[in-house]
Amino acid sequence: MNPCFYWIDRPVSFRPGETIAAALLRAGIADLGPEGGAVRGRVFCGIGACQACVVAVAGEGAVEACLTPARSGMRLAPPPSLGLRHE
Amino acid sequence: MSELAMTELPILVVGGGPAGVAAAVTLAEAGLRVLLIEQRDRLGGAIHRQPAPGAPQVWRGPARHRRNWTELTSRLERAAARIELRTSSVFLGIDGAGRFLFEDRRAGRVFARRVRAAIVAVGAVERIRPFEGWELPGVTSAGGAQVLLKETGRPPEGPIVVAGTGPLLLAVAAQLARAGNPPLAVLERGNPWRRPKTLAGLATAGPQLTEAAAYATTLAWKRVPYRTASEVLGVSEVGQGLAIRVRLGKIERLLQARHLLVHDGLEPNRAGIPLPAPGAEIPVLLAGDGREILGADAAILDGRRAAAAVLASLGQAAPVAPLEAALGKARAFQRDLAEALRSPSTLPTPETMICRCEGRRYADFTALPADASAREIRLMGRFGLGACQGRFCGPMLAELRGEALPSASPPRWPLRPVSLAALANFSMDQTET
Ligand SMILES: Cc1cc2nc3c(=O)[nH]c(=O)nc-3n(C[C@H](O)[C@H](O)[C@H](O)COP(=O)(O)OP(=O)(O)OC[C@H]3O[C@@H](n4cnc5c(N)ncnc54)[C@H](O)[C@@H]3O)c2cc1C
Ligand code: FES
Repeated sequence: MNPCFYWIDRPVSFRPGETIAAALLRAGIADLGPEGGAVRGRVFCGIGACQACVVAVAGEGAVEACLTPARSGMRLAPPPSLGLRHE
Repeated sequence: MSELAMTELPILVVGGGPAGVAAAVTLAEAGLRVLLIEQRDRLGGAIHRQPAPGAPQVWRGPARHRRNWTELTSRLERAAARIELRTSSVFLGIDGAGRFLFEDRRAGRVFARRVRAAIVAVGAVERIRPFEGWELPGVTSAGGAQVLLKETGRPPEGPIVVAGTGPLLLAVAAQLARAGNPPLAVLERGNPWRRPKTLAGLATAGPQLTEAAAYATTLAWKRVPYRTASEVLGVSEVGQGLAIRVRLGKIERLLQARHLLVHDGLEPNRAGIPLPAPGAEIPVLLAGDGREILGADAAILDGRRAAAAVLASLGQAAPVAPLEAALGKARAFQRDLAEALRSPSTLPTPETMICRCEGRRYADFTALPADASAREIRLMGRFGLGACQGRFCGPMLAELRGEALPSASPPRWPLRPVSLAALANFSMDQTET
């Protein structure tokens, strides 16, 4: 069985060596929230430049989903400030 | 290796794409120590992104690029004794004491190194011409989608539209088609058939033409329409998908799709990158598409050129004239290509997002005084201040103003998100030599 991490509360399985972005997209998760945010996160440039895919890793901080290899048991969520500033 | 070579400071190369690897190999083969830094967990850069272990291989187009890369990586292996390779390590910037700072993401710590010279080969970023809704989830850059396709071996599910301008649209669409999900349509903003003279000039370029022909054949075979003089006007969310308003020649249409892939050319990835100052104590040279957009073949030559310049500054003879000549040819090709695809500029609607990071729209830009300086655009308009350091809105505003926005100097530090834990793990005595 493939290992998995959690997007908010939802388990997302990944192939070892795959990035967080690849696994999220394969699971059909394109909207990286926050829910109702004026500007929502998403994988866009795929190469670490646009910062639109930045996700918060519980206990670690923020990383680009498109650069970071997925690890088993990671707990991921939208970063706290994104898109909430201009509501 | 001699005693001296062991204790000598290394030459830093940032970026493990074709340009960086070519530079590192050239320096190491000449007997120098090299520190090669790559933010990803594997080398390859934008073009040679490797599939995750166990993922199916996708069709990568003509074989020449793969051959070039196989040659570079085998030379890298042979020179491995002189190359310290640090993957999953992000170049963050230079501190006041002239030390180069990196975040080792695997170990979760920041480290500092002293180097003799640096070659920065951090590649290109895609240019995007903004339209209403480009910031929505479901809209991806075409190159970004391509990189993900190579990595996972699987195309995104559901209908796809590819739009913008440039040869990358063809490549991505053909690769998606071969991987089992041919796009509904490819919309090219330019109208190359209108410029037959320029096209005829391009036709003399050997390998690039063969490559384009292979992509075009795939699209014809998979019945993917390639429409010129066509573009996206706006996009909105409907249910699980996207409603894409397009112009096909003179007619407007509404397309329903799950994914919209956009791309309007490439820009050197410059935001926050230390620029070479003549006579600087530690010379910093740019190489590859991060210096000038000349494409994958030229990136290898340009990496060698930068390495030759470093060697020359250390008194080792290294001929650069043949490299310069080949780069000149690549430059002429890029110029003709841009000319063939040139399209009239269009103004975004007031509601169009310009700076996605800070949620700033075109109306916020037009509200600024017409003669606002770059500094005023930044500070009053709050453009270019977000997390991406203006990598995307910078080129958009430059095109709308008809004049480049000078980059923020000095760049804000850190250039990228650095975890607090990694910063806390940094202390001055971590300067490794
Ligand atoms: C998304 C995308 C897809 C592309 N796809 C193709 C293609 O399929 N075919 C083609 O011919 N051309 C493609 N190109 C064009 C591409 O720019 C050139 O083909 C070629 O890859 C340029 O080589 P390079 O070594 O200059 O840069 P790159 O190949 O982009 O390599 C730069 C490297 O630097 C690393 N890097 C960046 N910033 C940092 C940092 N701060 N710290 C550490 N490492 C860093 C990157 O991870 C990357 O590995 C693509 C460009 C983009 C942006
Ligand atoms: S998608 Fe742009 S930084 Fe990850």
